[in-house]
Amino acid sequence: MKYTLTILAIIALLLTSCNSEPTLQKYFVEKSEVKDFMKVDIAPSIINTSKLTLSAEEKTALASLHNINVLAFKLNGKNNAEYEKEKTIVKTLLKTDHYDELIKFNNGTMGASVNTKGEGQNIDEFVVFVNEADNGFGVVRVVGKDMTPNNVMTIVSLLQKSEMNIEQLKPLKQMMMKSKM
Amino acid sequence: MKKITITKNKKFKLCTMKNLFIAFLFTLLPSVFFAQTTAFDKYEDNPAINTVIVNKKMFQLMGEMKMDPKDKNAQQYINLVKKLESLKVFTTESGKISKDMKSTVDNYLKSHPLDELMRVTEDGKAIKIFVKSGATTSSIKEMLMFIEGGGPKDSTVVMSLTGNFDLSELSVLTDKMSLPGGNAIKKASKK
Repeated sequence: MKYTLTILAIIALLLTSCNSEPTLQKYFVEKSEVKDFMKVDIAPSIINTSKLTLSAEEKTALASLHNINVLAFKLNGKNNAEYEKEKTIVKTLLKTDHYDELIKFNNGTMGASVNTKGEGQNIDEFVVFVNEADNGFGVVRVVGKDMTPNNVMTIVSLLQKSEMNIEQLKPLKQMMMKSKM
Repeated sequence: MKKITITKNKKFKLCTMKNLFIAFLFTLLPSVFFAQTTAFDKYEDNPAINTVIVNKKMFQLMGEMKMDPKDKNAQQYINLVKKLESLKVFTTESGKISKDMKSTVDNYLKSHPLDELMRVTEDGKAIKIFVKSGATTSSIKEMLMFIEGGGPKDSTVVMSLTGNFDLSELSVLTDKMSLPGGNAIKKASKK
């Protein structure tokens, strides 16, 4: 009896801990309002296809892409401690939030990793994490449904063909400008 | 009555102990699998070391990409990529870390005996390649390359490649990716 109780308690604990586990999505929401952070949401409409006639393949590829969220942390010379802290948080989130790491590289001052979530080749989420010792770090979350490698390739080629709706990128651009000033 | 409950309790205890033990083993199991690769993981987040890590999932995804069926090189490449599991390259120019890498490689070779495939000296650098053979002699499960650099401009490289591939296929990889010590691997794969 005692054992079953303890086992039950452990199971209950495990379940609740699963639910309250921090996710990258929650992190995005939490930090979007915080100082030093900046969040930009990009809709797939950034790929301006009005002038193009799309093939069926290109259409499915575009449909697999839902939205893109960018969260950036800007270094300003005073927030080094926060930078290190938040960087570690993102790194652990990528591990605990069940992402598969595809590639990672780092050359001392700059590092980047590409992570995915999804079954087999049907990827529901891409996360690109870039950090640079002088500028800060950025997390790009590409959310969609069944983004296969081929769909991704098609989208990349579409990006080259189409004109981008730069409007949506304005906040990011402004941030870059600020950092130069 | 009392006696019965005691024996029951004992049985119950034994049973749960056994279960616990099995559960414990299962929780440990993954860490045992991961332990194989952790020898070099400590180098991943060091600013003095350049790292490139490509994981199995990436190779799987790359293998799914459509390539021109007429392009023989690309097809060979895809075929090889599907058989790979992980690629790790660590490069450093720091003398201190070079020494540490050397001892880590030595230790790794002690705990995971690999066959020395070849040893060359190229431009004053000693290149050593070790392999673990699979079912046949030419099939390889793991390859470890160590290039010991001497000075500050000569970087030390540790490269680990795992999967289940053929030695002769490797030249395709060195052609496509600019891997360090590509020449040495090419020579090795022609043997």
